[in-house]
Amino acid sequence: MEIEIRGLRKVYPGGVVGLEGLDLRIPAGLFGLLGPNGSGKTTLMRILATLLEPTAGEARVAGYEVHRDKAAIREILGYMPQEFGFYPNLTAYETLDYFALLSRITDKGERNRRIERALQEVNLVEVAGRRVGTFSGGMKQRLGIAQALLNHPKVLIVDEPTSGLDPEERIRLRNLWVELAGNRIIILSTHIVADLAASAEQLAILHQGRLLFAGRPIELLAPLRSKTWIIDVEEEELSRVRQEYFVTGVFRSATGMQVRVVADEMAHPRGYAAEPTMDDAYVHTMKQAGASELD
Amino acid sequence: MSWTETRAALRVAWREYQLSYRGATFWGIAAAGSLLAIWRASPAGTSAAMAAYQTLQITLFGIAVLAILVGAAAAARDRREVASELVLAKPMGSTAHLVVARFAGVWLSLLTIVAIMLAAAMVRQAVGGTPWRLGAYGNAFARSLAPIALATAMGFSLTSLLVSPLAAGVAAVYWVCVPLARGYMPWVSDMTPAQHWPVPALLGAALVALAATSYGKALHTPGRGRVGLGGTTGVLFAAAALVILRFVLGGEDALVTRDPVLSAIAAQRSREGERAPGFWLPDGAGRLVGLSDFAGRPVVLAFWGPGSPESARATDILSEAARKYRGRGIACVAVCVDRDSATVGPFGREHPSLVMLWDRGQHYGDGERWSDSPLGLVYELKEVPTFFLLDRNGTVVNRVEGASAYALETALSDLMRAR
Repeated sequence: MEIEIRGLRKVYPGGVVGLEGLDLRIPAGLFGLLGPNGSGKTTLMRILATLLEPTAGEARVAGYEVHRDKAAIREILGYMPQEFGFYPNLTAYETLDYFALLSRITDKGERNRRIERALQEVNLVEVAGRRVGTFSGGMKQRLGIAQALLNHPKVLIVDEPTSGLDPEERIRLRNLWVELAGNRIIILSTHIVADLAASAEQLAILHQGRLLFAGRPIELLAPLRSKTWIIDVEEEELSRVRQEYFVTGVFRSATGMQVRVVADEMAHPRGYAAEPTMDDAYVHTMKQAGASELD
Repeated sequence: MSWTETRAALRVAWREYQLSYRGATFWGIAAAGSLLAIWRASPAGTSAAMAAYQTLQITLFGIAVLAILVGAAAAARDRREVASELVLAKPMGSTAHLVVARFAGVWLSLLTIVAIMLAAAMVRQAVGGTPWRLGAYGNAFARSLAPIALATAMGFSLTSLLVSPLAAGVAAVYWVCVPLARGYMPWVSDMTPAQHWPVPALLGAALVALAATSYGKALHTPGRGRVGLGGTTGVLFAAAALVILRFVLGGEDALVTRDPVLSAIAAQRSREGERAPGFWLPDGAGRLVGLSDFAGRPVVLAFWGPGSPESARATDILSEAARKYRGRGIACVAVCVDRDSATVGPFGREHPSLVMLWDRGQHYGDGERWSDSPLGLVYELKEVPTFFLLDRNGTVVNRVEGASAYALETALSDLMRAR
């Protein structure tokens, strides 16, 4: 089971280009989708979730064509958009019951079992009887995940929000994705690059509707190995270092400032070798594409 | 659609109903409507049939309008709560079943409001010690089904239709046609829910089907099944158009007031000392009763309208007279002037000693010049209630205007003495 994307192109009415001829293969497992705002991540996910028609090209989800087999794809799909809301007058349990009905889980016993299980998975069992209108942002996010899990989806598409989850919750969910990503495809669009190093089997970086990278996290890190350095700098020499080196991050340490850079060789007296991180690799990739605003 | 899917759709309708009745809007409308119903059922002497009739009027002119808004709000809920994408990504979330199920839920919630209002009026009546007469309230409830369905469907569908060029076209045609065809508005306003229920029912169904079609299209649902739904919509609209044509053009309810022959008859005088114009009018069961049925008997003919409680007292006064002169051959005939033939049933059952007949007409409340009822024109009615006293030969011997028991009693005893 996999997702196959060939020459996928989306031009919005008005001429804005969402995707510019994308070729991608997404296997089973956790698949991370990275890229700045407006890079085409949401466009891609909405097309795969059959909510948006592509202008050209084709995409097959588990063998189903997104143009034609929408109903079939929706049967095996779990989708959590970046922004969403619920009906405030229904309780969490009733909300899930509503969405389970929309997923055509018509047997009452089966529906109840799945709702119970989904509530456990997102840790909302205790507030199942509370109206959703009283929920905090984080609780709504978790309910959003629960509704996507109801039909035991073979394909789970999650457009992660930029905010709303506290750190502990975030780690719990990251673990949940890894647990769930056994035999199914999970596409996770996220802003927290670092998390993907340990959890994602594959990832892709999009920029302006084009694919900058696709592969395993380790493949993204590989070119930076023995090319990543940390330099302890004085505050006044920061701008000079920025001009000389490919800077991927600036940090404040106890002794002064540290700059992470990517370079073939290190000439700076206070520079030393470091292990590349996902953040380094991501910023490096984006900068090479001329996309970063960090400079 | 299989049985399990139907059951799922019914469950969705139930959830939609919950969504509706848990909102503040629902209880606001229910409370305001109930207060109005209680107020209209409060005047001394208001009978159950009158309380139910007044509540139905509030329903038709108030709740039906609100139903448009409630339906529109329900259809826009997904967009308002940003839940559209969650719903659409589900297999049933993008099909017509969802639209129909949601409509059913909203309709049910508005009918609940009507039921609450009727119950409020009924409790008010019970507190006042008036007989219950469940049938009168049931009659009013049944008559609200179709108009509430149409109003809800209008609001529900317009939300999705107004954004489409088709709807813009329909609206344009409508606004061009209204000034051109001036006779059109009376046709519409003369439609009554009880006599013409197929019109709102069919139109409502067609609107919901249209909404379902456009909903599916907006979501790019797979083509399968869309043709069938579009076809159904077309057939429903065509049926509604035919039914409207039949009622408006060929039906027995054509506006007789504009009939030249009737206008000529209306020019006859119906004064004291002249022979009363004859008539054939239906009673509550639809049987035609004629003035000639009472040949050789003195007749009290009372015109009244349920729109004004003051005028409705005429039926009580006449009932009293009928009891008093029982066994002396007098016929007491009450002509209920209303747009809707179904009104006369409950009132007739409340006054078994009267012959309760229906004449199509309109009344605009107390003191207003009010009647376009054909028989009212012929009898040169100036106000309701008016009593006409006819002797054994069918000659009008007296005419009493206003609901005065004393004046009627005086005139009646004169009539009975004179024979």
